[in-house]
Amino acid sequence: MKMAALGARQWARALLKARGQGFTNTFIGARAASGPSKDMLPGPYPKTPEEMAAAAKKYNMTLHDYKPYPDDGMGYGDYPMLPEKSQHERDPWYGWDHPDFRRNWGEPMHWDFDMYIRNRVDTSPLAMDWKTMYTTLLGFVGFMLFMFYVGEKFPSYQPVAPKQYPYNNLHLESGGDPEKAPEEVKNYTI
Amino acid sequence: MGSHLVRSYVTETDTTPDPAKPFTSDPTTGFDDRTEREMVATQDQMNLAMLPLEQRDYCAHHLIKLMKCKRDNWPNFLACKHERHDWDYCEHQDYVMRMKEYERERRLRLRQKRIEAQPA
Repeated sequence: MKMAALGARQWARALLKARGQGFTNTFIGARAASGPSKDMLPGPYPKTPEEMAAAAKKYNMTLHDYKPYPDDGMGYGDYPMLPEKSQHERDPWYGWDHPDFRRNWGEPMHWDFDMYIRNRVDTSPLAMDWKTMYTTLLGFVGFMLFMFYVGEKFPSYQPVAPKQYPYNNLHLESGGDPEKAPEEVKNYTI
Repeated sequence: MGSHLVRSYVTETDTTPDPAKPFTSDPTTGFDDRTEREMVATQDQMNLAMLPLEQRDYCAHHLIKLMKCKRDNWPNFLACKHERHDWDYCEHQDYVMRMKEYERERRLRLRQKRIEAQPA
């Protein structure tokens, strides 16, 4: 009982204190503890050469390599636009600081780095050119279709007469009308 | 192997019989007295044995004996060797008869063509 009263008094004091700052500041304006902090977010888009140099330095890049995303309101800020190459393309035999990611410590990270890790999108060059691939595939499928057509037109069969069945070719058994006399079928030995 | 396919599609396309179509020649041609095939199992027996339609052929009585033997000897799957052989042999003879029947039809058609080609 005493503890609850104490708690209530502390709440009242906190609310009284917050009065001057307004309701929204106290309850909604507070930044969540999760998510990126301010210095983890990219800075504003660099406009002057000095800002460019500062941004390049911030991302551990030379001014020559550094090129920010276009300032088209997507919120990239000064984040560097890195080549769209997957980590799989990188040399597997080099002693990377982080061999699983094939990435060195402090190296600038692609904006979509998670998309380009080794078990996701792979941008390595194809083993053969696109035309060879589709001509091979279409050639094979076309050949198979042609051969299926040929097999349909000229079926392979065993040179034997149709199988003979007793009782007028199983007239009753195959659902013939018992009232109607079936066509008589005689089978002979040979 | 495959010579009948060459005959039917290349060399003798008009006379080689197609097993999917009914044969046209008279079954008694060339025979003095042709014996009819004898069916042993009755329709009732085959119904009671619940044979599938494709097995209700002229060897059905052997198959019924084999099935009965298998049932009586369960679980000895090595039994019924003789019954199995009887049925297999009957089916083999049935197939041989079909081969002979096909060859007969083929030759009769060739003969018919020869006769028609002769000047009257």
